[in-house]
Amino acid sequence: MTMHATNMGNSLYKTDPLTKRLNAAEARFRIYGMAAVAFGVLALVGLLTSALGTGVSAFRQTFVEIPVMLDAAVLDKSGNRNPEEMAKITTIGYAKVLETAMVAELTERGLLNDRVSAKDAGGLISKEAPAQLRNMVLANPELLGTTVEFRALANGRVDGFFKGRVTMESAALDSNISPAQLELAQKMRELGLLSVSFNWGFITGPDASELRPEAAGLGVAILGSLYMMIFVLVLALPLGVAASIYLEEFAPQNRFTDLIEVNISNLAAVPSIVFGILGLAVFINFGGLPQSSPLVGGLVLTLMTLPTIIIATRAALKAVPPSIKDAALGIGASKTQTVFHHVLPLAMPGILTGAIIGLAQALGETAPLLLIGMVAFVRDYPAAPPEGFLDPAAALPVQVYNFTQRADPAFIERASGAIIVLLVFLLAMNLLAIILRRRFERRW
Amino acid sequence: MSQHIMSAFDRDLEAVQAMVVKMGGMVEAQILDAAQALEARDEELADEVRKRDKAIDTLEEQINEEAARLIALRSPAASDLRIALSVIKIAGSLERVGDYAKNIAKRSNVLVQMPQINGSTGAIRRMAMTVEAMLKDAIDSYIQRDAALAADVRARDVEVDQMYNALFREFLTYMLEDPRNITGCMHLHFIAKNIERMGDHATSIAEQVIYLVTGEMPEDNRPKTESVTAFDEAEN
Amino acid sequence: MNDMRLTERTVDTTEIKIAARKVQVYYGATHANKDVDVDILDKTVTAFIGPSGCGKSTFLRCLNRMNDTISVCRVEGEILLDSEDIYDKKVDPVQLRAKVGMVFQKPNPFPKSIYDNVAYGPKIHGLTKNKAELDEIVESSLRKAALWNEVKDRLDAPGTGLSGGQQQRLCIARAVATSPEVLLMDEPCSALDPIATAQVEELIDELRENFSVVIVTHSMQQAARVSQRTAFFHLGNLVEFGETGQIFTNPSDPRTESYITGRIG
Repeated sequence: MTMHATNMGNSLYKTDPLTKRLNAAEARFRIYGMAAVAFGVLALVGLLTSALGTGVSAFRQTFVEIPVMLDAAVLDKSGNRNPEEMAKITTIGYAKVLETAMVAELTERGLLNDRVSAKDAGGLISKEAPAQLRNMVLANPELLGTTVEFRALANGRVDGFFKGRVTMESAALDSNISPAQLELAQKMRELGLLSVSFNWGFITGPDASELRPEAAGLGVAILGSLYMMIFVLVLALPLGVAASIYLEEFAPQNRFTDLIEVNISNLAAVPSIVFGILGLAVFINFGGLPQSSPLVGGLVLTLMTLPTIIIATRAALKAVPPSIKDAALGIGASKTQTVFHHVLPLAMPGILTGAIIGLAQALGETAPLLLIGMVAFVRDYPAAPPEGFLDPAAALPVQVYNFTQRADPAFIERASGAIIVLLVFLLAMNLLAIILRRRFERRW
Repeated sequence: MSQHIMSAFDRDLEAVQAMVVKMGGMVEAQILDAAQALEARDEELADEVRKRDKAIDTLEEQINEEAARLIALRSPAASDLRIALSVIKIAGSLERVGDYAKNIAKRSNVLVQMPQINGSTGAIRRMAMTVEAMLKDAIDSYIQRDAALAADVRARDVEVDQMYNALFREFLTYMLEDPRNITGCMHLHFIAKNIERMGDHATSIAEQVIYLVTGEMPEDNRPKTESVTAFDEAEN
Repeated sequence: MNDMRLTERTVDTTEIKIAARKVQVYYGATHANKDVDVDILDKTVTAFIGPSGCGKSTFLRCLNRMNDTISVCRVEGEILLDSEDIYDKKVDPVQLRAKVGMVFQKPNPFPKSIYDNVAYGPKIHGLTKNKAELDEIVESSLRKAALWNEVKDRLDAPGTGLSGGQQQRLCIARAVATSPEVLLMDEPCSALDPIATAQVEELIDELRENFSVVIVTHSMQQAARVSQRTAFFHLGNLVEFGETGQIFTNPSDPRTESYITGRIG
């Protein structure tokens, strides 16, 4: 027969003071932790809303759609449709054609009045539009003599007006636009001559001058960044992985390798601008490589990314359980076989993650690129690789920096838009890292 | 020998060995009392001896159980294993010795009904005392893990054998002299034989002690007297 | 349930497979093994027992030069495998390890299929000419490891998905597949339950027909159950080496006695 002992004094139902103190401390710590997390989340939300708030509108753009009569007599004086001859007509000629078409259309619709001159009407169209029209005609000379529906970029101020950046009051003080022009634009919108739609030009187009924010795009910067990333991937990944495997699995433990290890850790902490100076001195001044080229940018970013990749790869290699190594060695696999058959495949997810994080870091890097001349204004797309690696190009983060340097407030929107594109790329890369890790991850 | 890391193991070993020592003491008393009852023709003491054998049998069972528990629960090895094994064997020997004492008591009650045979009971008592001393020394050698003392016990068995042989001849003479002595002498002879067997068991306990201490059974070279009978040969 | 009982196998051999003479092992400044002399007989299970840190695993790992992977480890003395010094400069440890296989404390199958686990050794050593031969080796190795019947229908399943005991037998199959002459086992049952342990022990006893087995174990009962010869290590010294029955009933050295009876000392 078993019996229940009676509780002598200290009931478990009553919390004693020590336990109370412990619980209170734990509750406090939880609150600190939650506060820290909340602060982080708030900061992120703030950052995203600010970037998205000002930047999303960069992906929408105001266009003027009018029929344009391409007068052969004006645009091809020789009449033989020879593109070389036709190229003599500059954008000024095309601007006149556009202005004429605009006035004609507005007159027909009865929108012109004494407050708006023909020049004012033409001023609604971006200064970039004649160049686009000219490129179109030079590419297709057979269009001459016909009337085409031309979709011209609207002037930055008009675009700003529809995005709420420009108001009637600010226009009254602005020498570039007048309230009358804005009223006209408003009416044109009502008639469907003017519309707001998705702005592919922002993503694919090249940068534009300070006076034409509406035409500024990221095409060259995206291409430049892409070229550099290819470079970093092709150079930094094999170099980094090879160096890590050697250091982790093969190198003897001595003072020299210790020194190398310390240096790699230190390199990871070196300010990136130092790499820029190095790139300028070694690759451009000493090596004679062209400025602003993705090749030099890629090399500098490779140097910058290497320590990150090496550190991540070594950590991944270290994380492979030694039992697997022992197992392979124990049945007579050589060291190389052990590493390549067992250790490397198991470390792959970690290596890939590290490499992609290193790449993402390189993608977002600005400072070293400023020093090697990638800050220059580049309107021409670099050629396809490999020649393209030597052509001048921009880079996304540098493009952001460039946009913010310009006076026209429309560039603030462009800069935020560029930041969004950059963030999307980084997000995509991180997503890729996660997917790869999930994919390759194996239990042992 | 130092202590076990697990002190409960030490307690178990000590407990079972204490039981053996206690059993040894009880059996020694039985031998002396049986011999005393025989010589003094004391029926009461003889009955007492017969009754007390029960307790000895019970104790042997307890020792066997404890030893089995020890082997099952503690997985003894080396000297511990030898303790567990020797305890079982020693308890078995002691139980047999107890049975012989009981048998002596039974026969002494029968002998009370018959005329006394001169001097023989005194000789039997001396023989019993010798065996009792052997048993005592065997148990002492067990307590003290004294292999030399155990070897001495072993050597002393020859004395008991000689005493038995002498008694055997004496009883033969009595029976030849007077056939009416035959029943009494037969009983006395069995008593002497029982005591002689007790000596063998004391020897076997001493051998267990030697095994326990040295890890090896002593070789079969102990001194022996030439046997008096053919069947004595067969029994050894 | 026959396979859980150790059946009596009489193997009479006195042929020495491995002879160690005056082996010293240093870990940096620590002298891990001092003057170890051991003769490992062919087709015999030899058990190394002793308290933690006594140098038994260290010595085991000298027998196939697994200690080479530790840079601070230094081995002196002579270890002869079939009368050839395995620490000779001419000996490549990779070749040695094909002859002296090893099974580890924790079951460590590769994160690959059961088939690939077993086939890996024969593949890298080029033991087979074609797939059929490889299949045959895989099957016979799994049979030797008493695992064939349990896994024959799922050879493509990952080896890591097996139970602990099965994983350990898979590791044994993997070691056996390269047809080694000596099999070293470093506490092969310490991570297994009693049933799996019994299965591995029975397996070890079967392996004795073809291999010389050396097993390091913390369980004295295991050493007593599976081995014919037992070596007791203490503080880096080989204290006692002899027939297992002798060691467990009547050891000659008081340190051995204290250790196997669980005494302070």
